[in-house]
Formats: sequence, structure tokens, C-alpha cells
Amino acid sequence: MSSVRLRFFVERGGLLVLAFALLSLVCLHLASAGTSDGKRLEEIRSQMEKGQGFYVAGNYPAAADVFESGYKTYPYSAFLFNAGVCYQKLGDAEHALARFNEYLKVDPNAPDADKVKQRVGTLEAALAAQKAAAVPPVVDAGAAAAADAGVAPTPPTPILVPTADDQNAMKSLVVIETEPDGAPLTLYAPLDASAPPFRGGSPNPGWKAIVSTRSPANLTLDVGKYHVVIDKYRDFNPSETDIDVSPGHVHQLKADLSQGQFMAFLRVSANVTGAYVWLDDKLKQTPIWGTTPHGELVSSGQHSVLIEAPGFEPLLAPVTLSHGEQKEWQVTLSRVGYGVLRLDSNAPEFKVRVDDQPKGVWRSGEPPLDVRADAGKHRLTVSAAGRKTFDAEIDVPRGQVLPTHVKLMPKFGRGPAWTQAVLGAVVLGAAIVVGNESNRLHDQLQADRSAGVLEQTDSRATRGKWFAVGADIGFVAAGALGGLATYNFIRDPLPESTISTDKLLEFDDPMKARPTAQLPPGAACTERVAGSGPAREPGWPFGGRF
Amino acid sequence: MRLCAPALRLLATLSLLSLGCSWSRFSDDTSNAPVVLLQKPGKISGFGAALATTHDASGAALLVAGSAGSLYNLGTGDSPGFDAIDITYCDPSSEQCSASIPLAGLPSALGPGTSVHSPRCFIGGAGSLGGKNGFIVRCSDAVEFVLPMPSSPAQQLTFDLSVQQADDTSSVADGSADPSVLATGSTSRSVRDAWFYPPGLASFGSLTMPSDLAQALGTDASYGTTLAVLVVGGARIYAVGAPTSGDVLLWRSDGGTASAFLGCLGGVAGFGRALASGKVNRDADDDLVLSDADNVHVLDGRVLSTLPETSASVCSFSALPAGALLGSFSCGSSKSLSDCAASSFGASLAVGDLDGDGDGEVIVGAPGMTVRGKHNAGALLVFDVERPSDTLFADAKFLSSAEEGDGLGTALCAPHLADRDVIAAAGPSSGKVALFYCSSLLAPGKGGERCP
Repeated sequence: MSSVRLRFFVERGGLLVLAFALLSLVCLHLASAGTSDGKRLEEIRSQMEKGQGFYVAGNYPAAADVFESGYKTYPYSAFLFNAGVCYQKLGDAEHALARFNEYLKVDPNAPDADKVKQRVGTLEAALAAQKAAAVPPVVDAGAAAAADAGVAPTPPTPILVPTADDQNAMKSLVVIETEPDGAPLTLYAPLDASAPPFRGGSPNPGWKAIVSTRSPANLTLDVGKYHVVIDKYRDFNPSETDIDVSPGHVHQLKADLSQGQFMAFLRVSANVTGAYVWLDDKLKQTPIWGTTPHGELVSSGQHSVLIEAPGFEPLLAPVTLSHGEQKEWQVTLSRVGYGVLRLDSNAPEFKVRVDDQPKGVWRSGEPPLDVRADAGKHRLTVSAAGRKTFDAEIDVPRGQVLPTHVKLMPKFGRGPAWTQAVLGAVVLGAAIVVGNESNRLHDQLQADRSAGVLEQTDSRATRGKWFAVGADIGFVAAGALGGLATYNFIRDPLPESTISTDKLLEFDDPMKARPTAQLPPGAACTERVAGSGPAREPGWPFGGRF
Repeated sequence: MRLCAPALRLLATLSLLSLGCSWSRFSDDTSNAPVVLLQKPGKISGFGAALATTHDASGAALLVAGSAGSLYNLGTGDSPGFDAIDITYCDPSSEQCSASIPLAGLPSALGPGTSVHSPRCFIGGAGSLGGKNGFIVRCSDAVEFVLPMPSSPAQQLTFDLSVQQADDTSSVADGSADPSVLATGSTSRSVRDAWFYPPGLASFGSLTMPSDLAQALGTDASYGTTLAVLVVGGARIYAVGAPTSGDVLLWRSDGGTASAFLGCLGGVAGFGRALASGKVNRDADDDLVLSDADNVHVLDGRVLSTLPETSASVCSFSALPAGALLGSFSCGSSKSLSDCAASSFGASLAVGDLDGDGDGEVIVGAPGMTVRGKHNAGALLVFDVERPSDTLFADAKFLSSAEEGDGLGTALCAPHLADRDVIAAAGPSSGKVALFYCSSLLAPGKGGERCP
């Protein structure tokens, strides 16, 4: 970074401005000194604003005291002038003259020296007339009008020189600093309110240079619009900016002379910490501008900001910054509409289906299988050879990774059940055959008995008995085996396959992924290595985005 | 397990009940079976070669010929004694005796020198008893005595006994309470002698035939192997068969030892192969049942008794009076019985009142019959012979456990129970003797527990 930067701060009051000033000082490697100057400036501003507060509230004595005290501590002429205005409001012309004269004394080159001299002259004339007439002190126009109207005489009233706006009568302190110091600067003021905007390099006939000095400069200025021009200084570029001075404030302008332009400060924060921000780089071809929350001086004008975070929809939006503007831009990123199930298992291999659609195969030793699915409820089916299939509904998170551990339980062996069933069938078949044979013999015996030819020792009776007994035993055994087989077919002492989930994780951040190999010089990022699968858009999984 | 235990107990109980039912239904089948196989004594061979029965008030007895005669008490009901009560009838191992075939059963007999009739006696064979040779009569009260023989068969018997060879004798008694016994015995000649013992058995009378006929039968050793005695009125008709010649010779005795030759029936092959007597028709007289090679004929005993004495030596049916033939029938087959041609239909005959209706049915043995595919298992065909047209058998008996070669029906008789006769049949080839208690001719409920 060889270019020189110009930094510009506009102090409008408030702690944030001070913080930015401090930040700028840090950037200038002037931390300790900057801190000291900052404190001082803060105290000056505090005094100034305190006096302004009293003044606006009509508490002129308190305001005068504050300004007097401020000047004693911080001898800036603005305090003197403001104290003089307060005295003038109190009708204390002598003190007012003393402070205005002191003002002209300590700051003879004040841009408004002529005006102050006029005010001094007016006050002196009024004071002289007062003394000469030994009349009550000079009062302001309002009081005189009241007297003309026949109102009863009132105690002496301070003479108040009319001004355009009492509220704006307070002067402000404008501190202009540059880095490095010593840069020549010129402060322009418009001749009237209708003056066109100041254009650098133009004649600007409606403007008048009221101060030319070198930085750092402490200027006491009236309320109004000004334009500061820092001329080319050594090898630093010129720079300029408008400044709008409000009453009774301390304004600090700090220019980091670099590119020769005044900067704005943009701070981007999001609901996601660490979101990547690209400035004016929609295609993300340059390094990231920063990660949220991130603030930095940027050039004024229109910018495009791209904010991305893993698991969130990218946000691309224009931002317009004016010179010296400090913009706090808070964005809210919304989660993407899908999530990832990160699956692993105790099984050496399993297949995954989501809503009956195959989603991949995982094998032991591989990293967990990431399955992308739309956020919401889905039917997850995980199957493995020899194990009970897990099949249940699962809620896929939105824009996050759900680590899912599938515990696939082995299937309970049905070998004994089959053996019992087959054996039972065989026994049943044998029992049926034997039973039929028994019945046949019985029928024969009955027929023979009816025919009167049956012997009491007919061997078929014995055979029939044993066949019947055998059949009965067979039926019982077959029934028992059948029952046993049924029981063993139904029985499953092993628990069902289950899943357990861990705490939700954010999507992997490809920006943080460490390369596993160095690409050869000149190799394209999309170059594919044989067998490495399709190339991905660099850094962005799942279709080029988080 | 809490549920399993009662279920298992119930299953076990049901199983035991089922087993019990299965077992008992077969036991029910065979308990009081309609056929009773008598227990063959272990040491007897040739068991069932001949059968004889008699009865008195105490019940029927059955003598089964074999190497020794075995006596069974059949009682009066349907609960016979399966085991022999005496197996020493004409036992050559203990006495000098040669079994007679056929045998004669006597309701009672009066031994020599006694005045009390001994019950249920059988002529088991011919032998020597107390130094006397002749037919040995043994009664159920253990009384034994000898019936003397004519001299010629007696001499042959003496000789046979001396050389310890079988002596061929036959005897048969009528079914009356005081029966006459017809007997034959071998002689030194080739032809047997035939004689009879009139009721009381005190003496014997010769049965002589015309000399021409005697000469014609002189070479027929089968003469006298089949016998029958008919009681016709107060007379007896004696029938002696010569199956080889196909002749049956008839005599009549009106009492005492005198007899008259009534003629010779025959001229048909195998005629007289088996003879039996009994009341076939409804008159009170015995009728003669005889078989030839293929058929069985029933001749009215009353008609036969009208035959005049003759000296004709021609054997034919021409002399038979009209109406003598009550019926003729031949072998028949059924679902269980087949192979009539080889059945030896008529090899044995018996007459029994199987249905208790007062007249007898003709029982024909067919020991070569094929029963349920078992060749030569043997069967019995029963003919009611109520009318001449009754030529088909009314009932058939065989062993439900018939085995090949049983030869059931080689010997037959009809033991008399209280109110009917039953069939006793023997198959000596397998040593089976069976009692058939039931008949399809029996009125329902009349056959007792054995005949549902």
C-alpha cells in the first residue's frame, strides 16, 4: 500500500465522532499523542457545549462564566468572543468590550475581525453615549421601543447589539489537522446564502477566502457554511471539503493526505458476526473488504456492498456516502432455505434417502456425508446391509448443518425362526401324512369291523395307534415349532436404529478452508484433478454460495 | 412367561387328551373285535390242521388239531378264552397217538365202566391208551377212554404205533346231543375201512359197500378222508367221500350197528372233496353239504333218507330223488376277495346257524383265495341257502390282517354259542385259528358287542 491516504473527520459532537477521531489517530501511529489531543479536544468541546447550553437557556451569566473558564483553560479565541456575547446579552458592555477586544488581540487575523471590530465600535459608541447622557444604560431596540410607547421607566437595561440570530451568535472552534502537519490550507466562506456550491479548481465568485494558514489550525468561526481547501503539499495531493459550522461547537477536521480526496466512514454490521463483505466487487474478484462488523474509511460516493455468510442469503445493496459521512449500516441477513444433514454412522456403510430420493452412500473412513435438503421436515431413510433401516421424519434446519449420528442396529437373525418354521412345516407335513395314514387305517378297521372281519390283534390297530400318536405329537410339535417360529419372527430383542443429533453447526466456511495442495502457478481455480469430482466455484459450496 | 405357563399347560393337556383319544379310538376298534384269533401254543406245529367243536350247557369247546390237539373254551357268549386250556390232546410226545383228521366232537360221552357222562369230549386221534388201541376219547373232565376199531384198522394202528409212524384215521360226529361217530382208518389194504359208532359209542358197526364198488375204489386212497353224519329223524346217514374218484358213498343206520348202503353219488371231478352236515333248510333233519372241484352242493338229508338200500355200484346222481338238491353254488369274488380259480373253493365245509334263525348257513372254505391282494390268504364264503336261487354268497369272512399263504379256511367248524353258531376257521400254513363272531345275516343288535 504505497499510496498516501487522506483521512477526514468531521466532528459534529458526540462520542462517536471522538471515537472516530481516536481511531484515525491510531491509524496515524500517533496513539499516545492522539489520545491526549482527543481528551483535550473533548474537554474543549464539553466546555463549549456547556456554555452554549446555558446560553440557549437564557442563563447568560452562567454561560459567560463557562466561556471565561474555558478560555482560561484552553485559550481559544472563540471562548472570548462567546463570553463577550454573553456579557453583551447581560448589558455589561464593559465586559463585553473587554472580551471582544481581547478576542481581536489574541486573534487579530480572525476571519471575522472586521465584524468584531464593528461590534466593538458599536459597543464603545453606546457606552460613551451612556456615560455622556448619564442616562440609563443603553438598551437594545426592543427596550427602546417599549420606552417610546410610554411604558413606565424600567431599570437600566443592557445595550444589546442586534444580530441576525442570537442563537447563532456563538462562535465555534474549528480544528483543522492534516497528516502530515504543515499543509497549506485556505478556508472559504460564501459571500451570501445564495452562493453556488464551491467547486474545486473554479473561480467560485460567490466565495471568499477568509483564512489562509497551515495545519494544524484552530479557527474561531461564526455559524455558517465554509469550504476548506488543502493545497498540494509536498508530494501529497490537494484535498477539500465543505464544513457546516453550528453555533457553540468544536469541529475537528482531520485530513490524512493520501489520494487527495476526502473520505467517508462506512461501518457495516450484520446480525451475523464474521459475514464477509465485499465493497464494489460483486464478482468477489478482490479480497474481502472485511468481516462484520467492519468499518473503514471509504471514498465518498456510491458503492455496492456484497455481504455473504455461510448459511445466509447473500445481500447486495448500494450505499451512497457523502464526504466525511460516517455511515453505520446495519443489515440483516436471512438464512438460506435449505440445510445440511451431516450424517455418520456406526455401520461400515450406509445409504441415505431423503423423501425416497437417493442422496448418497457413506463408507467408514470417509468424512461424514453431507446431505442437502430444503429446510423443513423430511423423511430420512438410512439403510445398511444387515442392519435395521432407520426411517423417520427429521427437521432440516434452515441454513445450518445438523450433525446427525445414525446408530444402525444389527438386524436380529431370523435363522432360528426359519429353521423352526421349515422344521415345523416338515413336521406338520409328516404329521398330516401320518395322521391321514392313521385315519385311513382307522377307516379300514371300522370297515372291517362292520364287515365282521376285524381281528382283535390286527396289526393295523397298533400301527394306527402309533401313527395317530405320532400325528398328534407331530401336530403339537408343528404347532409348537410354528408358534416358536412366529415368536422368533416377531421377536426382536435388539432396539430399533436411532439417530442422535448434535448442536447445530454453521455451514463450513470455504474462506477458511486450508488448501491441501499448492496449485501450480497459473493453474485455474476450476482445474479438475482426475477423480476429484466436479469443480466447485471457489470457496462456495452448494452452488457457489453459502 | 407368566402367560406361557398356563398356555403350555393347556397345550400339554390338550395334547394328552388328543393322544388319549387317538389311542383309545383304535383300542375301541379292536376291543371286542368281531374276529378273535386264538393264541397258538408255542410248541404246537401244524396248528389248525383240523377243527372240531362241541358244546354243552357250559358252553362250546374247540379242539384244534396240530402236532397235538389244543382245546379252547369258547364259553357261551362272545368272550372266548384266547389261550388253550389243554394242549395235550393226542400228544405224541406224551402218549402213543396219531391225530385224526377230521376230528369228532362229542357233547358228552360215557366211558366204559362208568355211568356218568363226561362233558365235551373229543376224539383227538387214534392211539394206545391203557393197553388198548383205538380212537382215544378225552373229555373236559379229563376222562379218557378208547373206542375200539375194527380189526383191520386196529392192526394197522398197532403196526403204525409200533413203528412210530402216523396212522391215518378220520372221525366225525353228528351234532346231536347223543351223537353217532363216523370213522375211517387205514388198513393194510390200500383202501380204508369205514365204520360207525352208534349213539352211546358202546360198539361200532361196519359200513360195507358192494364188492364191485369196493373194487373200484380199491386204489383210491382218498376214500374215507371226508366224512359226514346226518341226523335224519331217528336214523343216521353216513357219508364217506372219495374225492379222488369223485364219489360219495351213503349209508343209513336206523339204530344199532346195522347199516344199509344207499348208493354212491358221484362221477364229478373232486366230488366229495369236503363233506359237512347240518340243518340247512328249515326241517329238523340234517342236510348234506358236499363240494366238488368247483361247486358246493346241498342235498336235503330228509330226501336222502328216503333212498332205498341198494347194491348198485355205479356212482352217479341219477338215483337222487327229485328235490334232493337244495342248492348249488360256486365261488364268488368281492372288492376284498379275488382269484376264485385258485381259491380251492370248497376245500372245507361247515354248516352253522350264524344268524340264529334256526336253520344253518353253509360255510365254504376257500384257502387259496386272494384277500386284498394277499395270495392264498384264504377266505370263507357264507351261503344262506334259504332258496335254491340263493347262489351268491351272503357273507364273506377273512382275516383283516390276512397275510400271504395264511390258507384260512383249510379247516372249518361252527361252534355253537348260546343262541347261534360262529365260525371257526383255521389256516394251518400260518398257524392261525380265528373265530368269526359276526355275520351280515345277523339281525341288528343280536351279535352282542362284537357285532355293532
